[in-house]
Amino acid sequence: MAEAAAATKAPLTVALSKGKLLSGSEGLFSRLGLPIPNGGGRRLVVEQGDARFLFVKDMDVPTYVEYGVADCGVAGRDVLLESESDVYEPLDLGFGRCRLVVARLVGSGFDYHRASTVRVASKYPKVATRFFLERGVSVEVVKLAGSVEIAPGLGLADCIVDVVETGRTLVENGLEVVAEVATSSARFIVNRASFHARRAEVADLLARLEGLA
Amino acid sequence: MAPSFNPRLVQIPPGVQCFVGEEARERRALEHVVTAVFEGWDYDEIIPPLYDYADVFEGPALAAKTYSFVGRDGSVLALRPDFTSLLAKVAAGRLAERKAPIRLYYAGEVLRYELPKAGRQSELYQMGLERLGGAREQGDVEVLAIAAECLSALGARGAVLALGHVGVFAGLVAGCALDPARVERIRAEVESKNAAGVRDALGGASVPEAVAEALVRLTRLAGGKGVLDEAAKSFAFSSAAHAAVDELRATVAALEEAGLADRIAIDLGEVRGLDYYTGLVFRVYAPGLGFEVGGGGRYDSLLARFGRPMPAVGFMLGLDRIALLLQRQGGLPASVRETVAEDDARDVGPALRRALERRASGKRVRFGNGNG
Repeated sequence: MAEAAAATKAPLTVALSKGKLLSGSEGLFSRLGLPIPNGGGRRLVVEQGDARFLFVKDMDVPTYVEYGVADCGVAGRDVLLESESDVYEPLDLGFGRCRLVVARLVGSGFDYHRASTVRVASKYPKVATRFFLERGVSVEVVKLAGSVEIAPGLGLADCIVDVVETGRTLVENGLEVVAEVATSSARFIVNRASFHARRAEVADLLARLEGLA
Repeated sequence: MAPSFNPRLVQIPPGVQCFVGEEARERRALEHVVTAVFEGWDYDEIIPPLYDYADVFEGPALAAKTYSFVGRDGSVLALRPDFTSLLAKVAAGRLAERKAPIRLYYAGEVLRYELPKAGRQSELYQMGLERLGGAREQGDVEVLAIAAECLSALGARGAVLALGHVGVFAGLVAGCALDPARVERIRAEVESKNAAGVRDALGGASVPEAVAEALVRLTRLAGGKGVLDEAAKSFAFSSAAHAAVDELRATVAALEEAGLADRIAIDLGEVRGLDYYTGLVFRVYAPGLGFEVGGGGRYDSLLARFGRPMPAVGFMLGLDRIALLLQRQGGLPASVRETVAEDDARDVGPALRRALERRASGKRVRFGNGNG
């Protein structure tokens, strides 16, 4: 059976998000005996033992892994749903739990079942589009990079599709949840080629992570 | 009035590429390596038309990606989105009298409506073969052996053929009375090796516990051939899934006996193309490139569409991806080319005569403006 490790001496490359999943990822890898020095610093590539860590924006983690410049990575399910990347997703790491929801202004009475076209503000245009199209509702997505919660109050959109953890930001901006799109948590993802061509190393890391999860 | 600037006279449309000089030479050389392997296994080249009736390319996977247009006579035509259907049509029609197995190979462009991403383009150069008819056991191992030889001949290091069998997944879900949308959700989660996702997708469905457990387990059944023993035990309750595992085990045993053990891996979670493939499926991976360089499998029901039912198996390699892989693995050897300049602006005739003499002795000549 194929043991392709000999064919490449490159360290196993792991893409991690610089965003909200960073501390969870750091904790995870330090428990594996791979503490990431200076994880939150300015260096974007850090070598540690047989591994190399890349620190990138959360939305970019699936991209690095899909193209194989990272063999594996840690990405939120919310980001994976949006990126539609062709990667393996073998393990739910359990941290970074949140929900992707549709939220409207409290008291606006907005009901997407009765709208001919929903105008929705989101950082997740593909997720938002899919959600409404699957329900037979036309949708116009206003893509924003952040502070999505203020869009309905300012009249930019009828509702938003965004992640919520505690729901406090929604409340503070006068919003309420009307539907849940998906639940999310941090996932360990693996590049398809690395999974097979570097099987021994990837399987070992996966087994150790499974032992922790 | 000055003519207005037309960007289309400069830009290249997304999805197509243009290769010049060394790049083009390199691609032709790689193509030659692969087609020489195909010829070496006694396959016949076929150069099919660039377009055919759109009906030829039916099927959910292709229909949405086909560039079709209306011909002068009102018939709907399509630029070929793949070669297999065209080869099947020829094998069933023009080669109807030829005894099976019919061995055919091709090398050329296919066109698909696809946004450029992760090594995919709208215009893809594919090199592949189809073995139409003949014994299954021989066909499966021959095609896998040829794929492995192509990768060796190209100088790719560490290439792995990841083998699966669609009969495993299909056998498990058959008889469970699941609606197609549910089956697709389960399939997609198995495809992602997402065990928790498979459980979610099964939520609320009345599926026997053994089947549910087996579907979840499919996400973990990848690796060495020990995976097949584990699968045989786990799937004992499903004769269809068990038969598929046995079939794959026989294929792997034959490849091992032939000395190809180090080129293969098992991946029972390989469940793409369920509506097309009927048996063995495989993808070719190599370290350095994040996506497969090619793949193939058995498609025993396609030929019936063209009126000559017979089993078939084939595979293809993508030229762009092969070139990218070899480049990532340490560079393609630059071709060494000696060029003789022949330039004499005053005495064009004698200069041309000398150039012709050098050409006759096989030299590469650059004629005229040698100092330009």
